[in-house]
Amino acid sequence: MKLTLEEEAMLKGKYGPGKQKAMELTVSLGEAFGAEELVPVDSVHILAGGRSYDEAGIEWLEDLVNGGGVAHPDVYVTRNPGSADHELWREMGLEDDLVDLQKRLDEVVIRFGAVPVASCVPYLLGNLPRWRTRFCWAGSSGQVYANSVLGAWGNREGGIACIAAAITGKTPAYGLLIPENRYARVVVRPVDLDPDTLKEEDLAALGYYVGQQLIDKIPVFTGLPARMKIEQIRALAYSLPVGGGIPMFHIAGLTPEAPTVEHALGFKKPESILEVGPQEIARTKELFRRADDSHIDLVIFGCPHCTIQEIAAIASRLEGKRINPSTRLWVCTSKQIKVIAQRLGYVETITRVGGLVLADLCAGPACPMGVVTPKVKVIATNSIKTAFYAPGTSGVGIYYGTLDECLESAVAGEWRG
Amino acid sequence: MFREIKVHKVCKGKAEGEAIVTSQPISFYGGLDPKTGVIVDPTHELAGHSVEGKILVFPKGKGSTAGSFIIYAAKKRGKAPAAMVAQVAEAIIAGGALISDIPLVDQLDEDPLQVIKTGDYIIVDADQGSVKIKS
Repeated sequence: MKLTLEEEAMLKGKYGPGKQKAMELTVSLGEAFGAEELVPVDSVHILAGGRSYDEAGIEWLEDLVNGGGVAHPDVYVTRNPGSADHELWREMGLEDDLVDLQKRLDEVVIRFGAVPVASCVPYLLGNLPRWRTRFCWAGSSGQVYANSVLGAWGNREGGIACIAAAITGKTPAYGLLIPENRYARVVVRPVDLDPDTLKEEDLAALGYYVGQQLIDKIPVFTGLPARMKIEQIRALAYSLPVGGGIPMFHIAGLTPEAPTVEHALGFKKPESILEVGPQEIARTKELFRRADDSHIDLVIFGCPHCTIQEIAAIASRLEGKRINPSTRLWVCTSKQIKVIAQRLGYVETITRVGGLVLADLCAGPACPMGVVTPKVKVIATNSIKTAFYAPGTSGVGIYYGTLDECLESAVAGEWRG
Repeated sequence: MFREIKVHKVCKGKAEGEAIVTSQPISFYGGLDPKTGVIVDPTHELAGHSVEGKILVFPKGKGSTAGSFIIYAAKKRGKAPAAMVAQVAEAIIAGGALISDIPLVDQLDEDPLQVIKTGDYIIVDADQGSVKIKS
């Protein structure tokens, strides 16, 4: 790989061991992926969940920062949510040691130079890579959204690569940073599905199924609604890399690199056409209804973090109701959105009926639902990502359903799907 | 007798051991318990099997970008695979392998999922760009 004099100096240790380690990682990854050069990166988002770093990962980051491995001043760095709400952790039933572990990680993440926007939707909170600018984001849902919907350029990077990119300010030029690699290879065509009746949960099941089938090939979706809300587009963005490792997608007539199907395909023939009907969606949802008991211990929303519109919907449906005393309700979002929800009275409504609106907390992979007291054995969620990760990370049974099904279950105390 | 296959180095190093092979992509986060080295994703065909000290042969990574840290946490506890052989490695497993010093190779001349069987004894030499299978 060709390196500039400056990059070479960093690699040789001129700027200290932290920056040297970061450049070593960046160069090794670049060489592994056949990149010929490094290019500047404008926006980085790093992981910051105590449960996903584990103590070993936190020590690794502390060593890096202590050796001068901190964010480059030209890069805007934000961070993903963590494994604790620092104000409501007692109400959540969390143990002190996980809260302490998360605090330790939060501190080193700030010393690293990440702005504590603790959310998986940085693009809704000010970290907004523009068209054709380069980003390096951890958190697969944001990564897919930024490529597909914002038209910014970034690869499906792991947590390590993003930390290294924040420090060096560089990322290897390969994969989706090369325009011809961004074309779709497969056309996805809904069959016997009325696009206008597809709920977010249907779209997430569709995305999961397509991810399973295509693994990492970029799809272009046809036959979806002409107008889609952010939550609907996001349902595809977050589910594709759960079912597989798909780094971006196109929606014909809607996303910026797909004015038409032909544009999305780069005017080439698709490798294949994947037809998806009601059966595939129903079967996918069935994969995520696995519990020994119909009693629901926890209903959880916010993977990805709830938008203010979702919190408004939850609050309005719960008005005048009461959550079953044996069931907990967690609504997870960013601190910023929680402040707005407080101002609009939604937090008060949800708290009054027995729920918690939690900030800075991951409701998906890094969620601590498996280590709270009283113990959570079965959850209901409207996120297929939570439903995928919770059994493996927390040992819980799961029911995946719509927002309304989950809220009815919260009131009844048992699954109402 | 060893059969040798040329490979592409992702992460340096050399290791040998018993192969554990899967045709399904792996999400290390939520898929591997770093405390035990056991695959815990109930939807995965390796669910309940340990990868500790083995040569993990799989098509590619998938899922959460936190997978890198899980590989590292498993390595620190001595529960990681001795080496990994992927059809195509992506940055999530590559980053994890790099900070954990686990040899990782990909892009074999022959499909590793076809030529390597669970239980085969194999030697991964990333530096020499080769995988050897004992027959």
